[in-house]
Amino acid sequence: MAETTLTSIGTVRPDGLRGVAADWASDQRAFKNVSWGKAMMWIFLLSDTFIFGCFLLSYMTARMSTREPWPNPSEVFALNIGGTEIPLILIAIMTFVLISSSGTMAMAVNFGYRRNRKKTALLMLATAALGATFVCMQGFEWTKLILEGVRPWSNPWGAAQFGSSFFMITGFHGTHVTIGVIFLLITARKAWRGDFDVGRRGFFTGRRGTYENVEIMGLYWHFVDLVWVFIFAFFYLW
Amino acid sequence: MVDVTHGAAIPPAEVAEVDLYHPHSWWTKYVFSQDAKVIAIQYACTALGIGLVALVLSWLMRIQLGFPDTFSFITPEAYYQFITMHGMIMVIYLLTALFLGGFGNYLIPLMVGARDMVFPYVNMLSYWVYLLAVLVLVSGFFAPGGPTGAGWTLYPPQAITGGTPGGADWGIIVMLVSLILFIIGFTMGGLNYVVTVLQARTRGMTLMRMPLTVWGIFTATVMALLAFPALFVACVMMLIDRTLGSSFFMPAIVEMGEQVPTNGGSPILFQHLFWFFGHPEVYIVALPAFGIVSDLISVHARKNIFGYRMMVWALVAIGALSFVVWAHHMYVSGMQPYFGFFFATTTLIIAVPTAIKVYNWVLTLWRGDIHLTIPMLFALAFIVTFVNGGLTGLFLGNVVVDVPLSDTMFVVAHFHMVMGIAPIMVIFGAIYHWYPKITGRMLDETLGRFHFWVSFLGAYLIFFPMHYLGLIGVPRRYAEIGDMHIFPASAHTLNAFISIMAFIVGFAQLVFLFNLIWSIRHGREAGGNPWRAASLEWQTPETPPGHGNFGKELPVVYRWAYDYNVPGAKEDFIPQNEPGSYGASREHR
Amino acid sequence: MAIAIVLVLVVAGSVLFHLLSPWWWTPIASNWDYIDHTISLTFWITGFVFSAVVLFMAYCVWRFRHREGNRAAYQPENKRLEWWLTVGTAVGVAAMLIPGLFVWNEFITVPKDATEAELVGQQWQWSFRLPGKDGKLGLSDARFITPENPLGVDPNDPNGKDDIIVQTPELHLPVGKPVKVLLRSIDVIHDFYVPEFRAKMDMVPGSVSYYWFTPTRTGTFEVLCAELCGQGHPMMRGTVVVDTEADYTAWLGQQQTFAQMTAPQKVGAAD
Ligand code: HEA
Ligand code: HEA
Ligand code: CUA
Ligand SMILES: [Cu+2]
Repeated sequence: MAETTLTSIGTVRPDGLRGVAADWASDQRAFKNVSWGKAMMWIFLLSDTFIFGCFLLSYMTARMSTREPWPNPSEVFALNIGGTEIPLILIAIMTFVLISSSGTMAMAVNFGYRRNRKKTALLMLATAALGATFVCMQGFEWTKLILEGVRPWSNPWGAAQFGSSFFMITGFHGTHVTIGVIFLLITARKAWRGDFDVGRRGFFTGRRGTYENVEIMGLYWHFVDLVWVFIFAFFYLW
Repeated sequence: MVDVTHGAAIPPAEVAEVDLYHPHSWWTKYVFSQDAKVIAIQYACTALGIGLVALVLSWLMRIQLGFPDTFSFITPEAYYQFITMHGMIMVIYLLTALFLGGFGNYLIPLMVGARDMVFPYVNMLSYWVYLLAVLVLVSGFFAPGGPTGAGWTLYPPQAITGGTPGGADWGIIVMLVSLILFIIGFTMGGLNYVVTVLQARTRGMTLMRMPLTVWGIFTATVMALLAFPALFVACVMMLIDRTLGSSFFMPAIVEMGEQVPTNGGSPILFQHLFWFFGHPEVYIVALPAFGIVSDLISVHARKNIFGYRMMVWALVAIGALSFVVWAHHMYVSGMQPYFGFFFATTTLIIAVPTAIKVYNWVLTLWRGDIHLTIPMLFALAFIVTFVNGGLTGLFLGNVVVDVPLSDTMFVVAHFHMVMGIAPIMVIFGAIYHWYPKITGRMLDETLGRFHFWVSFLGAYLIFFPMHYLGLIGVPRRYAEIGDMHIFPASAHTLNAFISIMAFIVGFAQLVFLFNLIWSIRHGREAGGNPWRAASLEWQTPETPPGHGNFGKELPVVYRWAYDYNVPGAKEDFIPQNEPGSYGASREHR
Repeated sequence: MAIAIVLVLVVAGSVLFHLLSPWWWTPIASNWDYIDHTISLTFWITGFVFSAVVLFMAYCVWRFRHREGNRAAYQPENKRLEWWLTVGTAVGVAAMLIPGLFVWNEFITVPKDATEAELVGQQWQWSFRLPGKDGKLGLSDARFITPENPLGVDPNDPNGKDDIIVQTPELHLPVGKPVKVLLRSIDVIHDFYVPEFRAKMDMVPGSVSYYWFTPTRTGTFEVLCAELCGQGHPMMRGTVVVDTEADYTAWLGQQQTFAQMTAPQKVGAAD
């Protein structure tokens, strides 16, 4: 009985699927070396995936069920630079910015592991900066479209759902990025101030800060990027 | 016997992350508390309070249906506002909040042997956002034009056009905002419940040793985290349609002779989004009830729950299946008719795992030692009403049978029996069961039995005859059936009878409410474990449990939560944290 | 103890109520008695299950109620029993589902010789459109709707010219002829429901839904709206009159076509 009462104790953990099964059958934790914070972020992201999934599916149904023609993205999203219409140029840049911000984020996490206070903070600031740039460019694109007469209820080129779903989905994603930027700044400040080294308690939560906060922040940020790739594909390339 | 101190191989019961924020002031102790137990009580009181409002609304509805046009203030507009608020409050702001926010917060940490939820601060926010959602919802009553009268299903275009109360005013906006807030608030709590169950159990507490209560709430929470997104999206889109005049759900229509500029939207899309949330939702309020009732029956029949494993897998199976049956609410919605075959099949398949649960509850009684305490009585009432309501669900699930019955009072009877009565019975049973742990005193027995008999028989008499109104063809959401000759005069008599019953049952709830308040001071001292139950929450050093639940040492778990009347044991129950190998046969560690 | 008796009474009461209550479905007036049969079958199976479960429970409560000194058995599970019960349930469910699906297949496959009739819902009244001589209905769109053209028939579609427009909430149908009703709404969702016909389907603005049935006896039947459509929902009434062939053609003769309706306006515009 002693063996069966306290499961998975002193036993070497098998790997592969049987390892997973063993963990789920064990006590205390289903994901053995995943901290609470990380687990929570993962599950939140799963839920958020469903939100974006529903948004995109609704957009597709709208696009397929509406009777009017759908505006041609590569014309709508073209920029006129030096007299030549370059299709999708702005989006290309925006996407590039966001992807590279994922890069800096990854490096920040990496230095976080090494408990390198300054580098972590700086790289997070860089990430935040890139994120902010993305939001600004999005703001630019919104203004451009609005000046061209795109409205939630109509637009010059065809189906009204184009405008509404575009503003809704990019807006919702943009909000995610903005929130991300804000939290990046907060976390960066904490890292810089050394909260994570001394385990200083958060002002609101009263929890001790650790460098893991950086990694959790990273999870969120990469997710937001990934979602963008899908939005990009469905809005601009379809 | 196990020597828990041997070897460094044993992970400490105390998990590294545990780091409680101990309250310093009265405010942080009772108001902005981060203690899951306090949050639970805040959730429960708010939910019951708003539930009372919904109950009063149901009386007003019944007055109109039973005795049409007796009160001039119950116009058709008002009637639709009443049913809408009644339905929405009952399903979301009462049941969902009470089961997950209330019972979830109180029981999960105690039952899995955790000191608190994993993120107490977020947990606290969850409550305050929920409270905000409730306040916004209530503000609808005072908004110009009153609350929305679109029915709790909020189908567009009707919900956002002038023909519906609140459709062209503030009503619908307020409702959508409140729902969005609720979802945000719930998500904060839900993440906590899930992570606590997965990552913060005490030593020896394997998933397959958790009480079914935790399993039920856990499964429901996971479902909620995946189902609410659909509602969230639907609400956002409808909000944009309503405020910015976009056309997600709005085709080209002519309203009251006026051409409306919307074009090309799809009302059916909303229905798919709503029901992709809506059907899981109805199981979200059912699964916690399934879990809790299993424990009530086991404890009060002094017998282990029959077929624990099957019970767990049935919960999971129901949870998974409920994501592929949503269109059974749309058989007559004008969607592609061939969907009917698929959804009818999946829908009826759900009857099988559900059936297993029913059988196991009943078989737990078999050769038990049944103490007919109030919780046990409510548990029995639950089984009766749930089986009844579930079986009428099979009528509706069988696509062609649904055609004549859909949108009639038969549907109303179905879902009240299965959702309006069954889980409510469990809530009552659970309150009588855990009240001693929460307050240290028992609820009054006599009042309790009165409350039980009136609620059970009364509610059954309200909703069982209602099926037959639906069978003659009385549609739902009719402010009055008026003078239609297909409906015999006796139908009106029946309506009157139903109404009177509703008032009686409602009155009994006030008695219950009184009992709740009175017993806090005057109830009989309960002691730590009045029901002689085995699960962890009854083994706390102090009652009510203090902040951190278990005092200095977290309990270590050696067995499942159902060791009752184990052969060879001296007591007729063995607490989960009692060492020793007797009882607890291997497959039920 | 009392509860055991009450449980038995609940079952007895429910069954008696079912058998004796005066409330039962309205006498059928269409070919959908299949649906009634399926419902009866479902009543039998579910009724049996309900009685069985609750009576067994009552027995347990009575037989194993707490008395001094008796102990509960320790019986964690019984795989074989659970397995058998599962299979039994599956069989019971299948017994209801399979006939149901066959009837549903009936319900959605419209016979070739069915004549079309368009039913249009709007807050809070019904109107109807029947194909004229050519047996074809003209195209329609909410955008064409004007006071003269309340159903939004496409003025440029020749098929529409001879369509018969009925604006009184009374529709006539010939007895014994299968009819495919095309359901359309010009504002919000409605649902055309005649209890005696058993069939119903939502009418969704922006799209056309349908169902079919064959009226099997003459008479006048009330139409209800079965989908919440705003404050007028319970008042949204109409009638369907099922006529003999002769009466039907007579009635048809008195109705005006789309062309006739819009003609006067054209003249007025000319001079
Ligand atoms: C707690 C909530 C709850 C639960 C658990 C259920 C359970 C079920 N419901 Fe219900 N339902 C609602 C809440 C719920 N429902 C609500 C709120 C609505 C209305 C929404 C609205 O429109 O406003 C609704 C509406 C609704 C509809 C749409 C009707 C319509 O609008 O036209 C349908 C159709 O399929 C349906 C089916 C079912 C089925 C098949 C089950 C099954 O899960 C039932 C399974 C249980 C059993 C079958 C009983 C136990 C089994 C046995 C004892 C085994 C023996 C059985 C046999 C051998 C056959 N429900
Ligand atoms: C959990 C869900 C729930 C509950 C408990 C109830 C309870 C009741 N409901 Fe409700 N009802 C719905 C969910 C619920 N309802 C929904 C979703 C709709 C659809 C709305 C729509 O169509 O849009 C609806 C619609 C609805 C209608 C149909 C209106 C119509 O279609 O025309 C009617 C008519 O009689 C009705 C009556 C009642 C009555 C008499 C009660 C009760 O009086 C039954 C007896 C009372 C109890 C069993 C006690 C319940 C206890 C509490 C509520 C807690 C009270 C708090 C404390 C004691 C502190 N309800
Ligand atoms: Cu038209 Cu209800
Ligand atoms: Cu459902």
